[in-house]
Amino acid sequence: MNKFFGVILFISALIFPAVNAKELDYNYQSTYSVPIKLSITEDFSTKEPPNEGEKLQFKVVENVFVNNTKILEKDTIINAKIETIITSGMNGFPDEIILNNFEIPGIKNSQIRNEYIKTGQNRAFWVYPLKWALTPIPFVGSLTNLIKGGHAQIKTDDIITIYYYPEWK
Amino acid sequence: MRAVLILLVFIAINLPTFAAEEVTLANENTIQTRIDTIGTNILNKNKIDKRIIFTYNKRTKKKALSLDKTITNRQVIIYDGLYQSVQTDDELAAMLSREISTVIKSYSGTWGGIIDSAQVTLGSKKFEIVADKRAVDYMVNSEYNPLALIIFINKTCPQKRFDRFSRHNLTSKRLARIYEYITFKYPQYLENNELIDNPYYQNFLLSSIDNRKKLEEKIQTKSTKEIDYE
Repeated sequence: MNKFFGVILFISALIFPAVNAKELDYNYQSTYSVPIKLSITEDFSTKEPPNEGEKLQFKVVENVFVNNTKILEKDTIINAKIETIITSGMNGFPDEIILNNFEIPGIKNSQIRNEYIKTGQNRAFWVYPLKWALTPIPFVGSLTNLIKGGHAQIKTDDIITIYYYPEWK
Repeated sequence: MRAVLILLVFIAINLPTFAAEEVTLANENTIQTRIDTIGTNILNKNKIDKRIIFTYNKRTKKKALSLDKTITNRQVIIYDGLYQSVQTDDELAAMLSREISTVIKSYSGTWGGIIDSAQVTLGSKKFEIVADKRAVDYMVNSEYNPLALIIFINKTCPQKRFDRFSRHNLTSKRLARIYEYITFKYPQYLENNELIDNPYYQNFLLSSIDNRKKLEEKIQTKSTKEIDYE
């Protein structure tokens, strides 16, 4: 009887690690990263927002090296996708733009930590205290609803840094 | 002999209770494992480097003014009532992605995300749409069908009469915005629609004819203006 359970245990030990060891298509063990500095090719503002999913153009600000090997030339043009646009709202809520999927030649998207978020001027910091200060006067506090937050802007001299992890899958 | 009989009767009475409890625990463990697996998959595939945990809760959600734990504790709580509406992994991924996108917002901005969390709460109508859109992105990145989000919301969120004075959007507006987002960003899911024979998806198509006509007009005129959905 003990032999029987022993055999079962042995077979389980052979099978279960194989089941659990399903290889993942990512491995974040490595912490080695290379910064890639980018700047937008034309000034961008959410004042007249494009559709989500459209692409913005960036260029590489300086050469990028991995282990002394140049992997990216300065001025290389790179596209990034507009992931989401959050439009500004009442009481000073700002516009926000989220960029992702930077298409870098020779580098897999899975090897880049690349989400970039740009927010407009957040006026809620002073709009809410003003609203509360004006609330005792009937209806006046509600006027702050008309104050909207700032547009999100990316200027050509803004430097955006994304990180390339060469050892990631 | 008498003591043995009493013991046997005691065991006979309590055995089904123990067995039932064990079955319940085993079921809850299965559900929690399923939630953890899909939730962690979404976090990893989207390279979300913020800590978020998932907890299955058998109780129903409190409607009273209680603090939302997704924002305060960065904890996604899956209530039993909602979980009952989940049929496929895609739908569970939709539910979790939606919550993850809310939690992520609580990590960004100044003062440890306090300001951004307050804005999510105060401007909930706007961020409701944003969270829906981000959920679509998370689902696509983790290889789930984003149309399942439409199915999940269509099954679980009731349709109110008006939303002008409400803190939430009409469900039909949310669904239309999600559909528009998928149309522009991930048209491949509509071109090769795996859910076309899903009765819940067909129900959405049926109940969104007017809104989808508006979207078709927007596409034809190449407009970038926001559509006023019903």
